[in-house]
Amino acid sequence: MSGTQAAPHSLAFRVMRLCKPTFHVETPLRFDPFDLLTGEDLLNDPVASQHLPRLLGSQSISSNSTESDLTFRSRFLLQDPYDAVGLSGLLVLPQSFGAIYLGETFCSYVSINNSSNFEARDIVIKAEIQTERQRILLLDTSKTPVESIRAGGRYDFIVEHDVKELGPHTLVCTALYSDVDVERKYLPQFFKFIVANPLSVRTKVRVVKETTFLEACLENHTKSNLYMDQVEFEPAQHWTATLLKADDPHSGNDALTREIFKPPILIRSGGGIHNYLYQLKTSALGSAQMKVEGSNILGKLQITWRTNLGEPGRLQTQQILGSPITRKEIELQAVEVPSVIILEKPFTVHLNLTNQTEKMLGPFEVWLSQSDSHDEKVVMVNGLQTIVLPQVEAFSSTDFQLNLIATKLGVQKISGITVFDTKEKKIHDPLPDLEIFVDSD
Amino acid sequence: MDATDALEHYPHATPPTDPDPPRPPSPPPVATATATDPLNNPYASLNDLSHELSSLQELATRGSWRSILDKVARARTNHLLTKPHEHLTYLSFHLIALTKLRRFADAVAELDSLDSDLDSPNYHYQSYPHHYPNITGSMVPFVLRWLHAELPAKLGNRQETLDRFYTLLHFVRSKLSGSSKLSHFCVELWKKREVFVINTIISHHLSHKEFVICLALIKDLIGKSEGSSSEDKAALLSKLGYVQMQFGDLEGAKATFSVIEGLVSEGKGGVEMENLVSRNKALLYIVGRDYVSAVREYDVCIERDGGDAVAINNKALCLMYLRDLSDSIKVLENALERVPTAMLNETIVVNLCSMYELAYVNHSDIKRTLSNWISRVAPDDFDASSTRI
Repeated sequence: MSGTQAAPHSLAFRVMRLCKPTFHVETPLRFDPFDLLTGEDLLNDPVASQHLPRLLGSQSISSNSTESDLTFRSRFLLQDPYDAVGLSGLLVLPQSFGAIYLGETFCSYVSINNSSNFEARDIVIKAEIQTERQRILLLDTSKTPVESIRAGGRYDFIVEHDVKELGPHTLVCTALYSDVDVERKYLPQFFKFIVANPLSVRTKVRVVKETTFLEACLENHTKSNLYMDQVEFEPAQHWTATLLKADDPHSGNDALTREIFKPPILIRSGGGIHNYLYQLKTSALGSAQMKVEGSNILGKLQITWRTNLGEPGRLQTQQILGSPITRKEIELQAVEVPSVIILEKPFTVHLNLTNQTEKMLGPFEVWLSQSDSHDEKVVMVNGLQTIVLPQVEAFSSTDFQLNLIATKLGVQKISGITVFDTKEKKIHDPLPDLEIFVDSD
Repeated sequence: MDATDALEHYPHATPPTDPDPPRPPSPPPVATATATDPLNNPYASLNDLSHELSSLQELATRGSWRSILDKVARARTNHLLTKPHEHLTYLSFHLIALTKLRRFADAVAELDSLDSDLDSPNYHYQSYPHHYPNITGSMVPFVLRWLHAELPAKLGNRQETLDRFYTLLHFVRSKLSGSSKLSHFCVELWKKREVFVINTIISHHLSHKEFVICLALIKDLIGKSEGSSSEDKAALLSKLGYVQMQFGDLEGAKATFSVIEGLVSEGKGGVEMENLVSRNKALLYIVGRDYVSAVREYDVCIERDGGDAVAINNKALCLMYLRDLSDSIKVLENALERVPTAMLNETIVVNLCSMYELAYVNHSDIKRTLSNWISRVAPDDFDASSTRI
């Protein structure tokens, strides 16, 4: 109906994010009587040191402390020396919403207040989180509505949600209730927040002989220092992983001292980094046939960090890949290279070409490719510049020779021996350089 | 509303009585063979140390910092201070009062107006032999050096404050390394000052969440605390535990607290120590989200010491995490009424006001009631902005 004003709501939602409280820290203005009531060196004087300790000692808190002490002595005098740190263990409620990150748990106190003079009845309360992708129901009292909230009264609940998406989130709180009016009233309230990415993980994989090394660099994008409680690499099937650490300088101390003084892994807020190094080995017997062509999955990192009072966050990375293993179609090897090579005298290099596929390949042409540099090649083919090889059956090989001649003395390289598949029109990678020594006559 | 009723009935703290009228300065102390004579104790009362020091001290313990400003002004105007060291004592009280009242620029100006550097011979006893026969050394109250270091941070220059505190630490250590000339009591006193300065430095690094250096400094203090009492060791280790907890090293905190429990069972205990151990236990429960057990521990503390403000405050927070906002408010309000001198703490008021803001749509009224009560009862230096009205 036009012209009707909506009746004001009796109920209202009040919301407070309930992350863990923090310790109050503040440099106190509290002093020792000896530091205030006399000059710093007066106690050097024998008369003073005779009497002042008793006189000034009587000023301390402990000698005056009774429950009926009506002074604010403890705001002025130190009770024990460590009061000066200003960390009494007093906890403070979170004073602002703060930032929230992927992997953390969103926890909130929600209070429905009835600030009217009328009772509210049959209240159906719903709380849900809405993101770009989904709606997650956190609370729903439809089956058992709250019977009543009296005038001036309250109904409280706490909601929790593990944050698994980035970007904008909305906590939607709704109440459907009856009060003095006939119609049921509907109150929706929206509380928005944005979830950001706390960490980025950059990985590098290096293979040294049989061992694969994984270097993971964690960077902290949050506004707090992050305590790395657990960073574990979970290897994929057939892999084992060991974390490599520098020697612990405290390893000489007893277990309890080590636990207390173990240097914590704390990544500084806003861009601090920490590196982890893992040594990975394949547990399966590594022979060429075992290697599967395609991508090589090493595993993933599971990360648990903590912030104030141990508030946890958990993330895992996507699968981390090692270097892709490609099986070559053909394998070209130098079988025999003469140990004595004389300048400008022809010599023969025996080569073998293996077909590693299951189908026949070829025919092939073999030549020495032109080098990239402008210098003339030192070692050249003596005779026909291109050798023709017939087809090679699946999984079999063929031997052939190259007739070469060297034009300079000393240590030289035979480079660029290239195989061309004339049928597939495919040039394979050249044979790696062969080193030879060219002697004079 | 409940809150209003609770606060109406609190009795006022008794106001300080007027200071004594000025009297002639007492004669200088004489270091002679009569030193061991109990009938001729030159330091029988605080007033023997400085003009009306008893009164200044009394005002300070009551938090009557404005009265202290008046008293210092009057003493200066009426030339009531006859000895050089008295000017320094009054200056110290004056600076503390200004700092407590958050008049930091005034405090810095006053300190800067000193004619000489704190190390100047103008502040040595031996420069005034007729006032201080046979007494040598510096008459500067150590607190002045501490304030000189602390004040720049209050005006936003944190780096200068840290530099000055590290310099002050060096000064204290050089006093200790020349300790062959100092009596045993003096050595103990300078060692206490070394700990005092290190603690202040830790406090500054902690406010800026520089946890790694805090751990290093605390470790250093633990090394120095071999000869301390069990109570002091327990207090120090508790700080370590809190720092570990603050940045999230829960295993480290647990290990630290278990060392403290070991100390308590060794020593005689006493309510202070027992409550410290219980509060530490409660913190571990809080970290494990077992708020019910935490409340139980805090109740044990409150039973032992009804004025244990930390236990009361933390218990109220636990009730909130247990969804019981109404009771958490009641706990704080009742305690404020019952033991105001223990509970009147800006952080506790901030917590209570946060609870009010959550509990009441129109929270200004109830906060104003609280604020009015505070203005009647609280000491001069209480920061009223903690009610966030």
